[in-house]
Amino acid sequence: MAKIDLSNISHSYNPNDTNPVYALNPFSMTWENGNRYAILGPSGCGKTTMLNIVSGLVRPSAGKILFDDKDVTDLKTEQRNIAQVFQFPVIYNTMTVFENLAFPLKCRDFSKAKIDERVNSVAETLNLKSFLNSPARKLTADQKQLISLGRGLVREDVAAVLMDEPLTVIDPDLKFRLRRNLKEINEQYKTTLVYVTHDQNEAMTFADNIIVMSEGEVVQTGSPKELFERPNTTFVGYFIGSPAMNLFDSEATSENTVKINSTIIKTNTNLSNLKTKNIKLGIRSEFIKIAKDQNENLVDVNVLKVEDFGNYKLITAKMDNFEIKSKINRETEIPGEKIKLHIPAEKCCIYENNKLI
Amino acid sequence: MNKLYIFLKYFFIVVWTVFVVAPFLWALTTSFKDFQSVNGGVTYIPWVDFEPNLEGWKVLIKSPAKGGVDIVEPYFNSLFVTCTASLISIILGTLSAYALSRYTFKAGFVKNNDITFFFISQRIMPPIVLSIPFFLFLSSINLLDSLTGLIVVYIVLLMPIAVWIMVDFFNKVPREIDETALIDGCNPYQAFLKVVLPNSIPGLIVAGMFCIIFGWIDFFFAFILTFTEVQLLPVKIVALNSSVTPWWSLSASALVSVAPLIIVAFIVERYLSKGNLSGAIK
Repeated sequence: MAKIDLSNISHSYNPNDTNPVYALNPFSMTWENGNRYAILGPSGCGKTTMLNIVSGLVRPSAGKILFDDKDVTDLKTEQRNIAQVFQFPVIYNTMTVFENLAFPLKCRDFSKAKIDERVNSVAETLNLKSFLNSPARKLTADQKQLISLGRGLVREDVAAVLMDEPLTVIDPDLKFRLRRNLKEINEQYKTTLVYVTHDQNEAMTFADNIIVMSEGEVVQTGSPKELFERPNTTFVGYFIGSPAMNLFDSEATSENTVKINSTIIKTNTNLSNLKTKNIKLGIRSEFIKIAKDQNENLVDVNVLKVEDFGNYKLITAKMDNFEIKSKINRETEIPGEKIKLHIPAEKCCIYENNKLI
Repeated sequence: MNKLYIFLKYFFIVVWTVFVVAPFLWALTTSFKDFQSVNGGVTYIPWVDFEPNLEGWKVLIKSPAKGGVDIVEPYFNSLFVTCTASLISIILGTLSAYALSRYTFKAGFVKNNDITFFFISQRIMPPIVLSIPFFLFLSSINLLDSLTGLIVVYIVLLMPIAVWIMVDFFNKVPREIDETALIDGCNPYQAFLKVVLPNSIPGLIVAGMFCIIFGWIDFFFAFILTFTEVQLLPVKIVALNSSVTPWWSLSASALVSVAPLIIVAFIVERYLSKGNLSGAIK
């Protein structure tokens, strides 16, 4: 277990070309010992590159990686004591389940007694105990993935367990249980877990810190709540949450109000230092409710459709040329086609050039 | 419909079996015949149609002084040359194939695929093109008419096959296997030996089979590069022929020369049918 520092890391797969394309733009980050991190972003945004840099499969074009303040940038993968689980199960076909799980320990010359103890304990956690002596290639895909996970967890002293969308091949029921297992393992052994995913629900339920990436850039790091309520960029607002954040082109009218079409909306943001006119107001549909007795921040809308999702209703409405979505209680009655919605000032996020101010 | 299908299936299997087995049976009966029974009309069944004798077989182990053509020594020469050359080709071929599959090589416009193709292009050339260079090369290092010289030449001929098969095989073994082994604490050599290689045994067996077949059946280079000191089986069998074709001993020698390949085929077939060739990685 270790604290992992990524300092000014950047990576390009063609660094010597005249116009290198960066898979990862420079960033710095610290992963504290024993925490759970999720790296979240669409496909091809550099998540896997980031993991491979930490595990040493890829050497970054620039920057340093420190494990507990020790520079490991030039250390080879096998010297870093890291565990990595890939998207598809990787097992050693010619070995039994036991040999598979014992392999990382054998490579590091652990004693036989220690190996037996660790393998049994991990097999217990992952429900693999009854298969220990079967050939690993005979197992089903999700059991094979458990073996991959097990090989990551079998070393107690591992600096971090990196997981690259590890639960893709596992069915939803088991997925849920495994995520809980992983959380328990993290709480019990204080293993740093890093979990790459493109599924926001997976990230939100698993991690206490989420790193959102887009096009090779780390756009925001924070707790699920922070990401949800104060997205740093319009991308994060759009990417996190379902439905995506409501975003409206607007213009600043005073130091704390903006105008969307003709409606004035009050915000808690200080708008006196704006440099451009490219302003967007963002608000989560969860915070928009049907107006009751409020007398400001009201918008007149035409309801287009109401979808009942069982635990909530989603109103899609037209506000002049913009579409607005509001998540309301199931029980709430919608008074008619023309309604007033309330946008709470404290929940408004203002974006200048798509960045939060 | 179903019955018709079963009938057709067995019908074709029977036809095919006859097609494959008949020449062997023909060779087998002929090997026990003598001049009389071969030239005295068509006969099939020993003791009924003709009186079997072992002359055709005895000739193969009798020394030339006693009127035989001793194929025992050429037989073991062939075995030795084929096995040694195949083994070395497989070892070298597997190592180069792994490198070609996992690392990027670049020399000007020449890249991995071009190098792989270069290997196999050696086999596209008609062998006659290579005969003079090989002859001159072996004579310059004094290895003409020697087992070592033949082994060197066979390695050149067989290694492209090993490389070609193994590159394809390694490309199908996911890189993640190597990466996982590295993460689990192996160095690259251990990752190759402990993890990738055991996973590639089916590929090794297929490559080995092809090397053994192509090495064993080669007549051309064995004929050109040897004279009196060393002889390989195919050359010796051809030497059996004389003005009166000795069908009996030719048949017998054909059977003994094909025997090792039949054994190889049985081993490989058993191995392949176990389903071990299927890449059970994903």
